[in-house]
Amino acid sequence: MNACYSYKSFALLAVIVSLIAFSDQVPAGDELNCVMCHKHRGLSRIDENGEFRLFYINQELFDSGPHRRNKCKDCHTDIDRIPHKPAKKVDCAQQCHIVEPSGQKKFTHKPIADTLARSAHGKLDADGKPKPYQDDFPECKDCHDQPFYRPISVYKGKVKSGVSERAVTRCKACHTSGDFAEDFYEHVTSRLRKTRFPLETIEVCAKCHQDPDFRERHELDDVVTTYKQTFHGKLIALGSEKTPDCLDCHVVAGENTHLIESQTVPSSAVYKDNVPTTCRTEDCHTKAGANLAGFQTHVTYDRKKYPLQFYMLMGFKALMALVLYFFLTLIFLELLRRLFPNFTFIKEKSVDSSPQQKKS
Amino acid sequence: MPRYDPIVEKDGKRYFFRFSVHQRVQHVILFSSVLLLAITGFPLRHAEEPWARPLYDFMGGPDLAPLIHRAAGTVLLGLFVYHTIYWIVLFIRDDLGKLKAQGKLNLRTGTRAFFSQEMVPNMKDFHDVVHAWKYLLYFTNRPPRHEKMSWREKFDYFAPYWGIPILGPAGVLLWWRDEITHYVPGIVLNAAYIMHTDEALLAVLFLFFVHWYNVHYAPEKFPAATVWLTGYLTEDEMIHEHYADYVKVMIEQGLEEEIRPQHFGGQEYNW
Amino acid sequence: MKFLKRLVFKLYVLFLMGFTVWYGMFMYPLIFGFEGKEEAAESLRELSHSKSADEEMFDRLIEEQSRTSRTDLGFKVIEQPYIEGRFHHIGFSVQKDQASICVRCHGNVPHNKSKELRSFMNMHAFYLACETCHMPAEKGEPGYEYRWYDKDTGKLVPNPRVLHDIEDSYRSAVRSYPTYGNYGAKIAPGIEENGKFRWLHGKKDMAFVERYISEQERLDQEQKSQMKRVIHRGVSKEPVACKRCHNEEGQFLPFARLGYPPRRTDELTNSSVVGMIQKYKEFYIPSFLTPGIEDDDEDKEEQEQQAEE
Repeated sequence: MNACYSYKSFALLAVIVSLIAFSDQVPAGDELNCVMCHKHRGLSRIDENGEFRLFYINQELFDSGPHRRNKCKDCHTDIDRIPHKPAKKVDCAQQCHIVEPSGQKKFTHKPIADTLARSAHGKLDADGKPKPYQDDFPECKDCHDQPFYRPISVYKGKVKSGVSERAVTRCKACHTSGDFAEDFYEHVTSRLRKTRFPLETIEVCAKCHQDPDFRERHELDDVVTTYKQTFHGKLIALGSEKTPDCLDCHVVAGENTHLIESQTVPSSAVYKDNVPTTCRTEDCHTKAGANLAGFQTHVTYDRKKYPLQFYMLMGFKALMALVLYFFLTLIFLELLRRLFPNFTFIKEKSVDSSPQQKKS
Repeated sequence: MPRYDPIVEKDGKRYFFRFSVHQRVQHVILFSSVLLLAITGFPLRHAEEPWARPLYDFMGGPDLAPLIHRAAGTVLLGLFVYHTIYWIVLFIRDDLGKLKAQGKLNLRTGTRAFFSQEMVPNMKDFHDVVHAWKYLLYFTNRPPRHEKMSWREKFDYFAPYWGIPILGPAGVLLWWRDEITHYVPGIVLNAAYIMHTDEALLAVLFLFFVHWYNVHYAPEKFPAATVWLTGYLTEDEMIHEHYADYVKVMIEQGLEEEIRPQHFGGQEYNW
Repeated sequence: MKFLKRLVFKLYVLFLMGFTVWYGMFMYPLIFGFEGKEEAAESLRELSHSKSADEEMFDRLIEEQSRTSRTDLGFKVIEQPYIEGRFHHIGFSVQKDQASICVRCHGNVPHNKSKELRSFMNMHAFYLACETCHMPAEKGEPGYEYRWYDKDTGKLVPNPRVLHDIEDSYRSAVRSYPTYGNYGAKIAPGIEENGKFRWLHGKKDMAFVERYISEQERLDQEQKSQMKRVIHRGVSKEPVACKRCHNEEGQFLPFARLGYPPRRTDELTNSSVVGMIQKYKEFYIPSFLTPGIEDDDEDKEEQEQQAEE
């Protein structure tokens, strides 16, 4: 059996080698020529659980993000032959072949996974015990799909989205080999701003935090809806990138975006004593008084939690209903009256004698 | 100050004086700033609606629209203050001044003078409201006979007088949120936010239907009334809307013989 | 004239009354709704209670059907279909086959029996009509003509341009990304008679299927079997094997006539694809080239599936 297996592997290797030899254009990350099949939009099936599984890879979009330097096998390590059995789940914390240039070490997302484990989103609590509802805690893929570069260019003080060919040309003067200059340019300039449009970030958080069952299990308020009712949320909905999304206020100061802590943890950005600092950070409400922290952001209009807001809202609603429906009724009746101008239960004498009345 | 004839005759038709140029200009400033405020504010209030973003972008987007909104708000607040002073000055000069000249000025006559100003609600308005409902529910076939300002016009007039004191200061608080939080607690901004957005909704819903019904949609006005431009009402409109005032002015002008009867429902109306 | 005036007046008043009522309804959610969201969240909560996982999946699928994801890169916006849990990007939506009589019941992703092959066969189902492989001409009879039909209208269309884009991409120095398989059209068999071409399955057959689907509930089991037999007449037990097209000697489908340029044809009939099929056959499943015949393992699976149904 063993011998047979090794024979098979050898033969497969031969197949693979021959495949590479015969395909003219193999993308950088595709030594196995995986795209020979996976470039087909129709490569799909419906699995045993009824889920639609699409195995198509859009190469153009794959090439639009940092992962373009990876080979398929860097992540899908268990695939060593084609065609292959269903692939295993990818572990983002594993090492890949890319060498991290500053430290000459093989690259891995493990530090991010470690940060996440320390945060409110980690699966274990401070004592190392599993938190309840383990399945609710996010893994990489729950928040991330294949990342894209969002490069920017600056020319004569004008900032705009996209790659600056001018800048790349300057890089290329020295860094001539391969696509290094392009890759590096896109990689670095994408970091100069948020790698996701704020609306998309909010949608990521909303996946769980807007789900009623999820909120009930973890006793959380509907922070997404209430955020969308703030000026911050509204301006973002209108396409602004200048107002804060979830991450801007909730990430612990000086940490990467994966460290979000509960408001009960003293080091959290939204811990009671830290809110003034968070609001008054250098790019935001710098001139504000510490009282700005007293502004309640995620107002649910719950009667017990936010009595002032609740009663004000109800007051205005009552006032609106009263005024508007009063006048609406009045106008409706007035219009109806115009259709029957002379009908009345009680006739007034002074009116009967008017010449106009007789005429009609 | 220009003098306005209470009745102007042109092409054989009578026109009745309503608003001076000064007042008409104030109205133009009022509605332009309110419209600007509405179209720069409501895309924000309903940011998730599909129409919000195109409208907001048309008004300059997140960079410019807030500036327009604040500028228009400043103009509106300025107008509010100006109009209040204008009103007080007129009252002191015309009403109290007349009483003083007659030597009759005291607390009682002064108070009475205050309540007999044309925009101030009084008992006649209460009776007119009751009468209006009687008319609308077919208990009489005679429409109410309004004086110079009907109770609905007075309501329209005082709507900004309750709206602006709520909207304006709340808007100012939200505008200067950073500075004022040195002095007031943050929750004041929560209150200001509700006051600003909900009162704005009330104002806009009211303006776009009730006020626009009065001056645009109503059959005799459609497509638009002209009094805000000319300052004068036609005889038909006077009879229809301000019969008591019509009779009063006609008698004052010595045209008692030519007073036309009150008409009904708008059908006899030269529409 | 006066009458007309009065009529217009009355109509206008009636219109205004309607407008008033509409405005009252328009205002209602603005005044009484909690921005329209709280209520929605509440009703959603009620809905999602006491539902099984399968029911939730059904709801999700219905919701997802029209769901897209939007990514704004600043210099371009990518809109694509949303599939829960998918990491890689799809990039564009595809045209579903509206014209095939088979797809009406079997769907756009019909193959699920053979574990090793189902994805490949579904991939082919994207640009080959079912009849092409499952209804080959009987031995001894003249073969069918193969042409492209539009996935929306079912009408005969010229050979897809994308095939040339693919060919060009092999030669071009600049990297380009043609799409494979998503041609908006499928290859289907037809018959050429007296210079006139007609599809093997035409409007008449579609009418049968439509009637079967609409009358289904009223038919008894025997009638259903009878009708299904008629609809499936001509379906071959053994589908056309892979190597009949993917070989060097002579292909079942006329690649050139169907618009496949030489280099692409070469790729399909030559070493890379054929080599893979050959090795696959030897090392994985001996029954690979006759996918209609399943091994015991899969028979069991199928029986289980039927039991579940």
